Amino acid sequence: MEIPYEVKPRRDTGLYNAKLGVWLFLASEVMLFGGLFSAYVFLRAGVQDGVDNPWPWGLNVHKDYVWLGFINTLVLIGSSVGVVFAWVALKERNWRRFQIYMYSVVACAVVFMCIKGVEYNSKLNHHHGIKLLDNSVMEGTILDKTDRVRFEGTTVSFSIQGALPAFLKDLDDEAFPTFTVVDAKNEDGSAVTLTSMSELKKWFLQERRRVAGELTGERKRYRSEIASGAETPTPVSVTTSATLKAAEPFHLHANPRKVIGHSDTGVNYRDGSKVEGTLISDDVLFEIHEVDMQLVLPQKQRDSILWDVVNDEGAKQEFFAKQQKYYETFREYYAERNEIMPEKMLRGHKLNLHYVHVGGHGDDHEHGDDHEHSKKGEEKHEVEVHSSESKPSAAGSKVEGDGGHHGTITVPRDKIKFMGNHGPRYGNYYAIYFTMTALHGLHVVGGALVLLFFVVFGKKLYLKNPEHLANRVEVGGLFWHFVDLIWIFLFPIMYLL
Amino acid sequence: MAEHTQDWAKVKKSYLMVGIALFFCTGLTLALGLWAPFDVGPPGPTPGDYVIGLAVATFKASLVALIFMHLNHEKSLVYKTLVFTVLFFLSLMVLTLFTASDPILEQYDTYESTNGKLIEKL
Amino acid sequence: MSTVTVETTDQSHDDHDHHDHYEPFWKKYIFSTDHKTIGIQYGFTSLIFLAFGFFLMMVMRWSIAYPDRAVPLLADWPWFQAWLDDGGKVTGDLYNMFGAMHGTIMVFLGVVPLAFGAFGNYVTPLQIGAVDMAFPRLNMASYWFFLLGGVLMFVSFFLPSGAAKAGWTNYSPLATTTDIHYGDLFWTGQTQWLMGMVFLISSSLLGAVNFICTIINLRCRGMTWMRMPFFVWAMLVTGFLLLLAFPPLEVAAIMQLMDRMAGTSFYIPTGLNVSGMAFDAAGGGSPLLYQHLFWFLAHPEVYVLILPAIAIVSEIIPCNTRKPLWGYKTMVYAVMVLGFLAFIVWAHHMYITGMGPAISTFFQTTTVLISIPSVILITSLLISMWGGSIRFNVPMLFATAFIPMFGIGGLTGLPLAFSLPDLHLHDTYYVIGHFHYVVAPGTIFALFAGIYHWYPKITGRMMGTRLGHWHFWPSLIFMNGIFAPMFFQGMAGFHRRAFDGGKAYEQISNQVFAEPNSFIANICELLRVIEPDAAVRMIDLNIVTSGAAWLLAVAQVPFIINLFISGFIGKKANSDNPWNATTLDWATPTPPPHGNFITEPVAYRGPYEYSVPGADKDYTPQFEDGPTALVEDNGAEEVEEEESHA
Ligand code: HEM
Ligand SMILES: [Cu+2]
Repeated sequence: MEIPYEVKPRRDTGLYNAKLGVWLFLASEVMLFGGLFSAYVFLRAGVQDGVDNPWPWGLNVHKDYVWLGFINTLVLIGSSVGVVFAWVALKERNWRRFQIYMYSVVACAVVFMCIKGVEYNSKLNHHHGIKLLDNSVMEGTILDKTDRVRFEGTTVSFSIQGALPAFLKDLDDEAFPTFTVVDAKNEDGSAVTLTSMSELKKWFLQERRRVAGELTGERKRYRSEIASGAETPTPVSVTTSATLKAAEPFHLHANPRKVIGHSDTGVNYRDGSKVEGTLISDDVLFEIHEVDMQLVLPQKQRDSILWDVVNDEGAKQEFFAKQQKYYETFREYYAERNEIMPEKMLRGHKLNLHYVHVGGHGDDHEHGDDHEHSKKGEEKHEVEVHSSESKPSAAGSKVEGDGGHHGTITVPRDKIKFMGNHGPRYGNYYAIYFTMTALHGLHVVGGALVLLFFVVFGKKLYLKNPEHLANRVEVGGLFWHFVDLIWIFLFPIMYLL
Repeated sequence: MAEHTQDWAKVKKSYLMVGIALFFCTGLTLALGLWAPFDVGPPGPTPGDYVIGLAVATFKASLVALIFMHLNHEKSLVYKTLVFTVLFFLSLMVLTLFTASDPILEQYDTYESTNGKLIEKL
Repeated sequence: MSTVTVETTDQSHDDHDHHDHYEPFWKKYIFSTDHKTIGIQYGFTSLIFLAFGFFLMMVMRWSIAYPDRAVPLLADWPWFQAWLDDGGKVTGDLYNMFGAMHGTIMVFLGVVPLAFGAFGNYVTPLQIGAVDMAFPRLNMASYWFFLLGGVLMFVSFFLPSGAAKAGWTNYSPLATTTDIHYGDLFWTGQTQWLMGMVFLISSSLLGAVNFICTIINLRCRGMTWMRMPFFVWAMLVTGFLLLLAFPPLEVAAIMQLMDRMAGTSFYIPTGLNVSGMAFDAAGGGSPLLYQHLFWFLAHPEVYVLILPAIAIVSEIIPCNTRKPLWGYKTMVYAVMVLGFLAFIVWAHHMYITGMGPAISTFFQTTTVLISIPSVILITSLLISMWGGSIRFNVPMLFATAFIPMFGIGGLTGLPLAFSLPDLHLHDTYYVIGHFHYVVAPGTIFALFAGIYHWYPKITGRMMGTRLGHWHFWPSLIFMNGIFAPMFFQGMAGFHRRAFDGGKAYEQISNQVFAEPNSFIANICELLRVIEPDAAVRMIDLNIVTSGAAWLLAVAQVPFIINLFISGFIGKKANSDNPWNATTLDWATPTPPPHGNFITEPVAYRGPYEYSVPGADKDYTPQFEDGPTALVEDNGAEEVEEEESHA
């Protein structure tokens, strides 16, 4: 049985099956990315001035990684050209040339994904931000994973129904303590001890089954008591929680997202599990680079709690000096045109143009970033910004330890509203940036694999029916161009605007 | 079939030209983004900048679609499908935005709704 | 082939015929690329899911009718220990879980796969005279994606968190924050719902591409557009609906997945509080964005639920009235208009979200407009029956019942199209009654009709008529017994998704529906729904509804028996075309072999030439050569033209 029109187009529609198929598929892809673009516009247009996080300016987010985006655009366009040439090579029945073009297209895809990796890495691992209670924001790097609560536990208690308790993930696997189960005995009367994670998990599952069994029995009894007309049936009572004592104190790095609250003596997890012991520290060590006051009412900025946390009068002065300069450019701009400056310009996403450096620089990489960024500010608005080398005043901030980490401050956790890396969680710009580029990246990978398949395994088909292979390459190419086309829009809206 | 008799050298040349045009436009996009002289309207990204940036991107995209994806000479069925797709995509984006722009309640005090009182003069 | 081996049984085929005559079992029945096998796979899987969704509903109905009594039979099942309370009563969590999964399973795993996956797959290629789908392997992939999605959904019941609980609509931020306290968020039902949806959507997209390609490119000779049976048209439009409406839901699902797993705030507004605590997210998102993306799919989805049903009915009615389908062309254009409008009405589900009057007027207008093509379709079917000599066999009974049932569902939808009455009716049992009339006695009846109708083609045997009647009449009665009271309850103010059936709201639930000793009260008394000489309160209707729902389950027993035993002991179909129908699907051998047709099929005429004056019998199949009845049919030259080409 053969499906008709696999190679030759059908006469009345003028299309062969795969081509029709890919166009339909692309139509659905238009709706897929269309949905995401709609979400982008909807979220960006929906930013409430002074309430939501302002939509950052792509240039400011990416700083010198803008160049990477630019190069990636070129790489993708290059690969698109490669695909059409590979197709023409097939049409001209030149296998060798087809191979060369197709392999270089795949190479372009690899380069693209590597560059993407570099970009992601910088955002996920090197840039962090902390929003304080009054919505002032510090940008920099959280040091040594101090966003976690460091705790020394001795006792844990949790429910033995449902899922494994959440605190297990925050334990140090290597230094797993020896736990003794309180109020439980082995059959020979010895205490129940658990010495490793796997042992604990096994024990948990066993206990869970036991509790479920007990519960079934108890409930049966309870219902039959009701059924036999008992006025006050004995309520169901089954112990559904367990307490473990550690032989020696163990370290816990509690993930703040899983914790409801903690005190000097205990950590309470969202799923109800509790760890008791002593708090080591819940301060966040932060290497501060920039300050962002967009979400603070202008008249409150000078009293922001951020300045208490930073504790650096020089940096504060500098910040407001720069801010003044920055406003001037706006004033000038509107004065020149004889227009009234809309005040909301100052509260909108414009203000993050003037992040201000505080503190010195621990690492050269960051250093380069900021430098580049200030330069951009200069070019664009002729704001005179101190070059980051001359930063005498900032060095006076609280310095933790000595050596490397200049400008490292300690942020008390109770002053923090939100913190994290510049990953998708950091705000809607980041969320949609990561979602769209990752989805696009998936398409790149998928497309490249298909094209690679054509060139690696296509020879047999080429010898049998070169037109069929050319058709396949055309169809694969259509998909590839579409992926390129999406990027053509992603580049300006994510990197530049 | 028409394609067999096509002059491939000519086709290749046109692809090359389009490639070059795309490279050039990408440079232009970057320049528009980075260089102050290209900044339209007040400093920073403003509606004027969006329009220009997206216009260049649209131009590039249509080059890709028309030449690389052969949409300059395609079968009517493909056009019909795509026209409807684009229509539905636009309705998704535009109608969604409209619903947001025409709310019954102002949920928050904004600069406009408080007549500028939300933020005191600087 | 120089050495003749014993295995070479079939020498009539020459070498270039790539027919594998021997296919191992797993290839023939499990990983098959044959559209008919895949159709049957879809059919069985979705029937199982329908039964499962029905089971969930029966438990819910218990909780609604008797919120303070233990669930019978289930309380000792180990799984239920975590979800029933000590006395064996349904908890709110369990009700929410079952409600959400009933909706999801019925829509995405039951009706759509049965209507589109099973009937579409089996019948469409046959009706257009194609050997198979355009991309058989893609077709197989789409079934396996569907199964994977379904299995994920099913397995999620057995996770510690249970399955999804936030309604089939999965609105954020509720859906984002449900079960957020679990240590391992990925293995929670709510997250697995999203994963399952991603697979189901991918499956539907592959299926849609395949259907559209097949219909456009694989029509046999002579099968011009206007000679396609209406069934095929409806499948084409359905395919486009799936193709273009599902991607935004995929976007919505991906973004909700990001919200849950990566902590983004696409749908989390600034300053959200959950259980009295500030929710740890950056904020700035919009819950409405989710609703827009969701309903952009979900409105077209209701047409995906109903169009295949209309398609099936529009095959069965002309066949059993022995009359052409009335207004075939009008119906074709109507279904296209309907498909188009389906994309721009979605926000009628969102009138109460604070949309302003201007945009809401737009959506009210389009919503009312879309009722026009729907009415055209249903009216054409009705008129088709006028003056026919109707054969009331079992498929025809179901098809006939479909029309008024769908009519009730559609007409009760009109008040919901206007924002003012919708303010009152939104999220009440009125809405539940409205859409269930469309999908349950509507679509499900049409699907039953389709099963009875095509069963002889699939198995070569007819389904039993007596069992069919035992299936149809009780089903008709109980369906109405379930859903009609919901309108009254809804108008009285009963809110949907209430696990105690509205008991907590005494002012609403104690309203009197029928005075003591009135006719209705007497019946209710007879049925032991109320005490003697009491009034029938609104809340008493819960018991009527629930009772009808359980009896409806009993009414399906004859069907299940019929379905399984008829394949072995049913009456043999007297020919390949037992109903004397006209479309190409009846031109195949029974059951159709791989490749479908023995000789190349040609469509010589329009699809519904029944009782053509002057013809020798009361039907002239499409595949029969000869003069056509319709003057305006201009496909004839095309056949000749193509013949000269071939
Ligand atoms: C024939 C028997 C059926 C009965 C008796 C039934 C009954 C119910 C009940 C009692 C509810 C819950 C109402 C509430 O608590 O708010 C419900 C919800 C729902 N049903 Fe059905 N149903 C049936 C068939 C179907 C079918 C065939 C479909 C879909 C094609 C369907 C789709 C839904 C949906 C989408 C919901 C809403 C779930 C939610 O609130 O999230 N049902 N049904
Ligand atoms: Cu709707």
